[in-house]
Amino acid sequence: MKVDTGATTSRRAFLGLVGISATAGLLGGCGDKAAPGGATQKLDALAGVLPEQGALPAGIPKPDVISTRPVADGYTRFPSALVDAISQQPGAGGKPVTAMTPAWGPAPPSGANNNYLTAINAKLGTPVEFSVQDGNTYAEKLGAILGARDVPDLLCVPGWEVAKLARFSDAVKALFEDLTPFLSGAAVKAYPMLATLPTGAWRNACWNGRLMAVPNPTDNPFPYTLFYRKDLLKGPAPTSIDELYATGKAVTDARKGVWAFDNIFAMVQMFHKAPGSKDGWRRRSDGTPEFKYETPEFRQAAEFMAKLYAEGLVHPDVVASRGADAKQLLQSGKILFKQDGMGMWQPMQAEQQNVTPGFEVAPVPLFAVGGGSPLAWGDDEPISYTFVKKGLGKERVEELLRLVNWCSAPFGTNEYNLREFGVEGKQHTRGPDGPVKTDLGFKEIQNQYFFISGRTPVVQPTPQTPKYVPDMLAYANASVAHLEKDPWDGLKFEMPAKYKAGLVPSDDQINDILRGRRPLADLDAVVKEWRANGGDEARDLLGKALADNGR
Amino acid sequence: MTRTGTTRRRAPLRARLRRDWPLLVMVLPGALLLLVFHYVPTLGNVVAFQDYNPYLGDSALQALVNSPFIGLDNFRALFATPAFWDALWNTLSITAFQLVFFFPLPIALALLLDSVLSRRVRTLVQTIVYLPHFFSWVLVVTFFVQMLGGAGLLAQELRQAGISPPEIMTNPDTFLLLVTAEVVWKDVGWGTIVFLAALSTIDPHLYEAAAADGAGRWRRLWHIALPGLRPVIVLLLILRLGDALSVGFEQFLLQREAVGRQAAEVLDTFVYYHAITTGDYGFGAAAGLFKAAVGLVLILLANKLAHLFGERGVYSRS
Repeated sequence: MKVDTGATTSRRAFLGLVGISATAGLLGGCGDKAAPGGATQKLDALAGVLPEQGALPAGIPKPDVISTRPVADGYTRFPSALVDAISQQPGAGGKPVTAMTPAWGPAPPSGANNNYLTAINAKLGTPVEFSVQDGNTYAEKLGAILGARDVPDLLCVPGWEVAKLARFSDAVKALFEDLTPFLSGAAVKAYPMLATLPTGAWRNACWNGRLMAVPNPTDNPFPYTLFYRKDLLKGPAPTSIDELYATGKAVTDARKGVWAFDNIFAMVQMFHKAPGSKDGWRRRSDGTPEFKYETPEFRQAAEFMAKLYAEGLVHPDVVASRGADAKQLLQSGKILFKQDGMGMWQPMQAEQQNVTPGFEVAPVPLFAVGGGSPLAWGDDEPISYTFVKKGLGKERVEELLRLVNWCSAPFGTNEYNLREFGVEGKQHTRGPDGPVKTDLGFKEIQNQYFFISGRTPVVQPTPQTPKYVPDMLAYANASVAHLEKDPWDGLKFEMPAKYKAGLVPSDDQINDILRGRRPLADLDAVVKEWRANGGDEARDLLGKALADNGR
Repeated sequence: MTRTGTTRRRAPLRARLRRDWPLLVMVLPGALLLLVFHYVPTLGNVVAFQDYNPYLGDSALQALVNSPFIGLDNFRALFATPAFWDALWNTLSITAFQLVFFFPLPIALALLLDSVLSRRVRTLVQTIVYLPHFFSWVLVVTFFVQMLGGAGLLAQELRQAGISPPEIMTNPDTFLLLVTAEVVWKDVGWGTIVFLAALSTIDPHLYEAAAADGAGRWRRLWHIALPGLRPVIVLLLILRLGDALSVGFEQFLLQREAVGRQAAEVLDTFVYYHAITTGDYGFGAAAGLFKAAVGLVLILLANKLAHLFGERGVYSRS
């Protein structure tokens, strides 16, 4: 196995890269030094460590909607019969497995107070004990447990948090089991559900040239979607930035306690076509990389967002405190527009339509400022990764992987159904169109097992929200055509430490500009400071990666 | 025990142990906690002088041993960061402001409560004013947002009356007033406890004698109650000075975006954003050590000052 490391920006960085470019047997002792200049990992070169591709269990029906990747295929009808994918109990009845996963909204009951966990743990044979953490501050929790080297047996690391974690590839090497011997090549046949995951997802689960985690493949590539309350907005969704502004102005009625927006800056940037690859980079026409802060598109977006704040179109609670619950504001109709991940849509629709008759959330179709084709940020990186704690011993790792394998059973199997909807009569009732989650189900099921596994992604139907699958796939497949081309596709970066640290003060200052505490003209000074604080270092790394890979 | 002349000879260790063992046993859990949670973690300050990488070696201890020493580089980097000086300035101004506008309030409230004769009324008031102390900062800030924020009770009432509401929660210029108001609401009642205890130790005969001699309410306050409180006031003042660079964390973290870094960044949030979230533990430890050193110097100075004024202070050489 040979891994091409791409860029070497300095001698110190090169020392850091040794750990990545070394062949498997030489890994020990190398790369003990963090790479302050950053590092590049070329994912194509990892073919040797990836698992063989396996087929889905027999008897799973063909999808009804075929999508453009990375958008997953969809089912509009629930399969009439479910298949059993796994015949053997995965757990050996060993001691309980500890796990940490994120959840958004109220934390589910834990331990014996949660019937759902009890039911699945009984199936698994070895119980999993979850520590469920607030998804909004998950990176901070991760930073703390990684730095303290105190990780659970199974740890969920969401894909979007990876870039925020300092010295993450060092952490991976020091704290987590190398899964290559367990899953690489034909070895994955012991875990047939894991074998069904797409190869692209596995490539992203490699660090330092080794297979280090089980990926949870994404069903859509978009980090953000602009949602609106279709039932409350009289008239169609805005189709241009001027319409968005005019609509916001029209629906804001402070005396009634209604404001138009959450903080929607990411979507505003997207509408202005500011770059988003690798968290905000693109290639200039002369071939050098440029960051979004430096682009005229970003400046216009900042100007627009500052206008929304200045004219009081953003809900004051959102403006005043980090603790504001913008989801709650959207549900209660106190705001009409909110940016969020696609994952917000279906659960909110299913739950809130029981609370508010006629409740409907829908995405605002993408548009571009000044017309032309819009831009969608996104990538096909996995939703999350499941890491296994290092040093548990071969048998225990195999037991843990069997648990993960069980939780990774795809749509159409009984295992998936139990994991997703709990027990019939308790967490869901079975109607003619498939399982309907009960209130208990909403309370107890918070993706606990989903976040310690991976499954072949599909967009699944739910009887409560029959319009969701066609609506979501229509939006996603229309948007995926405008997915931003990533000039660094297939390359995985550990960005320079100085660059990561420098983003905090820059974000602070841009926040000041958006909130009107500094004039827009200060953006030039912010950019200058950002460049000195690691921005140019990151540019060098990305530029070198382009040159080295002949792009 | 034997006495020879004026000097008192100490009893032998065994005799003292036999005499004092119940006291020693009672002190033991506290001493253990102090050791485990204060003295042992203090050793971790070593990382302030290291390029600390928590992932070296096979354990946290090995990481500590294997991380290279870089002398004072972390401190140099810290002092070269303009944001650090902004945070220090904010912290000091908040401390100074609250020393004047918060510190005396519990004393005043305690004196007021002490003068309430009805036991029931006093207990009721005490219970109510203690209550907010037990709320977390998230709740306190949310409460203020719901009351005084742009969509809060006050703003909505003003809008109904056709008046455009003032910016209370998002104005960086008045942020100092806002955080102090929050602290007052949360902690003024709790702060009275020590003072009430001190007031209860004042001999009531003193008041009666003074009243009999014709001293009015103010003279009794000035000549009896306040002097009785003085040692406690001085003690708490010194301890507060030692904590001068800690003004709270969550309160500022929650409201940082609302008013911006310039107004709301204090040393603790600076460390959080510039060291903890970026994983730069050496840098963060340097900031923490700086804070502790300043606190120590302030405590020593204040204690010295207290001695000059004839007070006992936090401790004194016997």
